[in-house]
Amino acid sequence: MDLINPSVVDLSRFQFALTALYHFMFVPLTLGLTFMLAAMETVYVVTGKQIYKDMAQFWGKLFGINFALGVATGLTMEFEFGTNWSMYSRFFGDMFGTPLAIEGLMAFFMESTFVGIMFFGWDRLSRQGHLAVTYLVALGSNLSALWILVANASMNVPDGAHFDPDTMRMTFDSFVHVVFNPDSQAKFVHTSVAGYVTASLFVMGISSFYLLRREHRQFAARSFRMAAIFGIISTVAVITLGDVLGRMDYEHQPTKIAAIEGLWHTSKPPYEPWILAALPDDAKQESYFEIGVPYVLTPLITHSFNTPITGMRELQEQAGPRIESGITAVAALKRYGETHLAEDLAIFQAHENDMGYGFLATRHAPNQDVSGMTDEQLHTVVEQTKPDILPNVFVTFWAFRLMVFLSLYFFVIFAVAAYLSLKKQLERYPLFLKICLWSIPLPVLATEFGWITAEAGRQPWTVFERLPTFMSASSHGVGYMLFSLAGFTVLYSIFIAAELYLMFKFARLGPDSHGTHEPENSTPSLSVIAH
Amino acid sequence: MTTLLRIAGLGLVLVVALLFAVFVGDQGPWYFAWVVGTVMIVLIAGAGAILFDAQPDNTPDGEV
Repeated sequence: MDLINPSVVDLSRFQFALTALYHFMFVPLTLGLTFMLAAMETVYVVTGKQIYKDMAQFWGKLFGINFALGVATGLTMEFEFGTNWSMYSRFFGDMFGTPLAIEGLMAFFMESTFVGIMFFGWDRLSRQGHLAVTYLVALGSNLSALWILVANASMNVPDGAHFDPDTMRMTFDSFVHVVFNPDSQAKFVHTSVAGYVTASLFVMGISSFYLLRREHRQFAARSFRMAAIFGIISTVAVITLGDVLGRMDYEHQPTKIAAIEGLWHTSKPPYEPWILAALPDDAKQESYFEIGVPYVLTPLITHSFNTPITGMRELQEQAGPRIESGITAVAALKRYGETHLAEDLAIFQAHENDMGYGFLATRHAPNQDVSGMTDEQLHTVVEQTKPDILPNVFVTFWAFRLMVFLSLYFFVIFAVAAYLSLKKQLERYPLFLKICLWSIPLPVLATEFGWITAEAGRQPWTVFERLPTFMSASSHGVGYMLFSLAGFTVLYSIFIAAELYLMFKFARLGPDSHGTHEPENSTPSLSVIAH
Repeated sequence: MTTLLRIAGLGLVLVVALLFAVFVGDQGPWYFAWVVGTVMIVLIAGAGAILFDAQPDNTPDGEV
């Protein structure tokens, strides 16, 4: 078996990570802002007050800029599966392709169609009709995310499919199983609600900008109020769902949860501390300068006080028999491909669940062929493969912590914001308003760290325990990968620059930038001057 | 007649919502939580805005 050039695999990974992280700078705002627009327009329909229509239209304009650039950056990613990940697409295409196709045909078309009606239908539809359209845009954008996350969850917990040794690919068993996979559910809700947090801080931050400049104060104060309430509930929800996802990782992806927690050795309940900060060393398999909070890790992960969590060193040792079994499976699969004998098929089926570990071992096998190894070679290959089952601990550990620390920061910010807004005392605290303004990019960073935790933690697999990443890429040349990587970097940086330019421009112009808004009296509040 | 149709329509929506709640609540509890939670967040945020309009100002100049 010829292995794909490791540099090409690394460049393919880097390119996908880059495009995905660029794309996800736009997505959370779209997911959350649509429902915030729906909330603002609902108040307009219920109360009939023009200011809420102005709010829906102004924030809708900023949503439109973000939506357009989000679509542009997302389109290329679907093609990347074919161009850069053709081995993965061949192996897992049945499973992965179906939710992606549904996303394109149902959710994205629905979202795009109704976005047009939302923007151009203000004078053509009744109030209730337009409100229904806005809700459909919100639903469509979140359903888009649903199908992408269903596809992603099937890579982490590949339920609802089996491997077909005749076609050498995973075959769909149950669509319902894939959609209602608990990992799909929790991932979708966690991601969608993270979008609500992003949108809330975006609206709150820009509203703070107006309040600091004493412009559009009534408009900004109402926007701030709605965003603060939206944000505080969403932050609680996002933390809750994060806990659910952690519990699922504990059950389905023990290497990921051990890496997230920097747990090299099996935990000792109930004392085991939750490590706040440390310097994990992947090569030496230990962490330095650990600072932890005792008695927190066990209940946090296992929801009990006496269940141990298996550490990475023990997981490595436990993988030994599975690697051996996987080597037997891959060798039998190879023979079956040549002979089609029922005997080889039976051996393969007996070891099928460990097939991925056999694939993982191929890069250490003589001539990358695991069949026909001597006992000594087998022992060496198993020992060399064991450390490969672990993800990059430093990256996974710190990406997770940065996400968590930011989430806790958002909780505090939204709690204070909701309190001050409900007391109508926002303008007394300009420093807090400045903090809100400068915090606008932080939820985007938090969601990026969330994706890094999820995807780096899944390594070394593209399909967990089925297909290793090093076998998933296309067999391009390094030059091609470097060229396309440079192209994407330049193109996507232009998109980001365009987004920032347009956002800054229209945010500075404020709600007066569209026709129907009646300018407010921008005289500074006396109480502001007094304070 | 219009009222009757409206009641029938709302009744149908109620039945669909109940069936949805029973099926999705059983098969996909987190999807159900998302639907209920999102509706709740939207409505509470809206209520916050309406409360803003109803709240008296702290100062005569309308501090916000």
